[in-house]
Amino acid sequence: MTDLTTRYLGLYLKNPLVAASSGYTSSIDYLKSLEKNGIGAIVLKSLFEEEIINEYHDRLNSDDRFGSNIEFLDYYDYDLKEESLDKYIQLIKDAKQELSIPVIASVNCVTSQEWTDFAVKLQEAGADALELNIFIMPSDTKRSGREIEEEYLKISKKIKGIVSIPVAVKMSSYFSNVSEMIQNLDKTGIEGLVLFNRSYSLDFDIENMDLTSSSNVLSKPEDYTLPLRWIALNSNKVNCSLAASTGIHDGKSVIKMLLAGATVIQLASVLYLHGPESINSMLKELEEWMNSKKFLNIDQFRGKLSRDSVKNPAEFERVQFMKHFSNKKL
Amino acid sequence: MDIKQIDIKQYYKDQRKVEWRTDIRKGMKTKERVAMTRTKMLEQDPKIRNKNGKEVNLGLTERLAIEEAKRCIDCPDPTCISGCPVNIYIPKFIKKIEVGDFLGAAKIIKETNSLPAVCGRVCPQEKQCEAQCFYSIKLNQPPVAIGFLERFAADYEQNSGKMATPEVAESNGIKVAAVGSGPASLAWATDMARMGYDVTVFEALHEIGGVLKYGIPDFRLPNSVVDVEINNVKAMGVKFVTNFIVGKTASIEVLRDRGFEAFFVASGAGLPRFMNIPGENFNGIFSSNEFLTRVNLMGAAKDDYDTPVSLGKNIAVIGGGNTAMDSVRIAKRLGAERAMIVYRRTRDEMPARLEEVEHALDEEIEFMNLNNPIEYIADANGKVKEMVLQKMELGEPDDSGRRRPIPIEGSEYKVPVDVVIVAVGVSPNPLIPASVKGLKTTKWGTITVNDDFQSSIEDIFAGGDIVRGGATVILAMGDGRDAATGMDKYIQNKIKK
Repeated sequence: MTDLTTRYLGLYLKNPLVAASSGYTSSIDYLKSLEKNGIGAIVLKSLFEEEIINEYHDRLNSDDRFGSNIEFLDYYDYDLKEESLDKYIQLIKDAKQELSIPVIASVNCVTSQEWTDFAVKLQEAGADALELNIFIMPSDTKRSGREIEEEYLKISKKIKGIVSIPVAVKMSSYFSNVSEMIQNLDKTGIEGLVLFNRSYSLDFDIENMDLTSSSNVLSKPEDYTLPLRWIALNSNKVNCSLAASTGIHDGKSVIKMLLAGATVIQLASVLYLHGPESINSMLKELEEWMNSKKFLNIDQFRGKLSRDSVKNPAEFERVQFMKHFSNKKL
Repeated sequence: MDIKQIDIKQYYKDQRKVEWRTDIRKGMKTKERVAMTRTKMLEQDPKIRNKNGKEVNLGLTERLAIEEAKRCIDCPDPTCISGCPVNIYIPKFIKKIEVGDFLGAAKIIKETNSLPAVCGRVCPQEKQCEAQCFYSIKLNQPPVAIGFLERFAADYEQNSGKMATPEVAESNGIKVAAVGSGPASLAWATDMARMGYDVTVFEALHEIGGVLKYGIPDFRLPNSVVDVEINNVKAMGVKFVTNFIVGKTASIEVLRDRGFEAFFVASGAGLPRFMNIPGENFNGIFSSNEFLTRVNLMGAAKDDYDTPVSLGKNIAVIGGGNTAMDSVRIAKRLGAERAMIVYRRTRDEMPARLEEVEHALDEEIEFMNLNNPIEYIADANGKVKEMVLQKMELGEPDDSGRRRPIPIEGSEYKVPVDVVIVAVGVSPNPLIPASVKGLKTTKWGTITVNDDFQSSIEDIFAGGDIVRGGATVILAMGDGRDAATGMDKYIQNKIKK
């Protein structure tokens, strides 16, 4: 019998599939259905600052009596934050009580100060680990790229210094030197790195001449090649576990990520597209492949196609299409 | 007379044509009137007043009041009234002042406003009636000082010893009750008493007046001025029961059994809000509610009282609203060497009245704008000794139209403090919503009401801060008046059935 167990962030997982932070991990009913379909661990939906702003917007528009009441509204964001935190703490407690799989809390960070107190409260609520979803919009021309990178490291170190549970950082791929960033984050002492987060895309509504959200909300199956490359390049160079995220929609891409050296695979878009039942089919595909290759456990093949394990590592450094197109008949 | 019940525009037109007003207009050309400059309020010297508790604004003299009244051109379409939540007949009372009939002016104001001396002091006229004045909207000149004149007329009447008590209809014997004795309740009680109802107002504290007494310091609104107005309401037959917490001492249900036909809940927004940042529970950190109530109502600043507030040299007040201004100015008067306002936006975004901000600046209050506390540090005894401030910058505007404050990473620094007063807003008093089954509330914790200020329970009406979250005195009074009309309609319909 194949053994799918793995250790991620020091936690024991029955298999390497983890439900990524998304709407699917925002309520206890969804969480139960994920567990029922075989998920190995769950990362609860992040509490985004943006959501607090949206809630503020909704409430402001729900009753015009408050629209002009600036003194009442002046610090209302603090109330909403507290309210959201209370709800989130309750979700952690419910999840811990109702589920037998590890529960990872998630925090969306834009500043090092904002959420540090928050992180401690999530730990106290019983979260098994903490995932920091860090994204600092690089639109401020007064801050250099290096300064922004320092901010990521500062947030990671600070949170790592105040909580005792394992910490993972979910990072973006928008860095001049992604590998350097991965390795610098690893040096902050975190236990895991999630490659990569998926940011909201803005679009224009040309009929109403207004801003709108892009239809490009969910990942596509072909997107997996982005984390695949960076995991393969770095899996042997870091101490922390690497989690693959973005574009993993079937068992084949799960296998590829493990071959690149990922410890776990995070799923989000596939759950929206095909429901929690897709977890079962991905696990089945993984097991069948392992059986066909005579692998008894994941460690026997994890990282087999990472940069340091292949014969032609230069292939990982290629970014141009010239060879591909020069050989292809048009 | 209830001017709401008649064709208001026609009424204003007819009234404007009466002889005495026509004569006044003829007596001085409009051109001459608009050429006059706005009268300045007389006030105590800032360096003297920031060491005493006496009223800052000293009011207008008779001469100054008449001069200012002359500036009003008695418009055919008095837009100023549309800016007043209680529809005071503004041009008419101002013209009464112009002719020297000050008691007559006060009587006109009191037709629709039972607390003129209060409103003349604390209403944000610059955003209401004065913002709609012909001078503001057409001439781009300083508006007629309606607030100063309202206060003048009310003070004149109070000092004359000839207070006019509004007429009261014959008693109909129907018992109605209010919860809370703040401005909304006082306005409601006045109108209900006028209509002949048997009115009782229940107050949780030992003093009547609600926020007028515990929330607004004497240097802005002396309690003695409030008391005169309350006594006038009492003279109309309204009964006040103090130290009575509806929902605890007795429930609405029990009061129903005691024969009350309908209730007006105006229990205010007395629940202090905090920022929930590390160290906020240390000793020496007060909510503005506690600080103001203890100083204004419980003699905490007086030597001969048993529950003093210990202040020290460095006092920081967090927030930028009127409550923050009141708190910091009290702190200065109680001897703070460094009395600071810490506010995360710029002075332009402060919700406080411009006059209060200017007064605070004159009184040597230190404004630390674009700063926000993120943590408090205490000494070994758990008493606050430092606040950690983070510098802020302004980002894009949010839904309230104001630019969002954004923290500047790495800008944190410490400031020594002996006392911190957190004045970041209040939430609606949760007692009535929690004690009345089936009473619908909003996400904000306020009571849901319809256009008649009737709640989801037919005999319970509500207004003021418990409906608005936090309202000005005059908006609360407007609610009280509208709720009285709604309640009367409800009771009369019930009787017909």
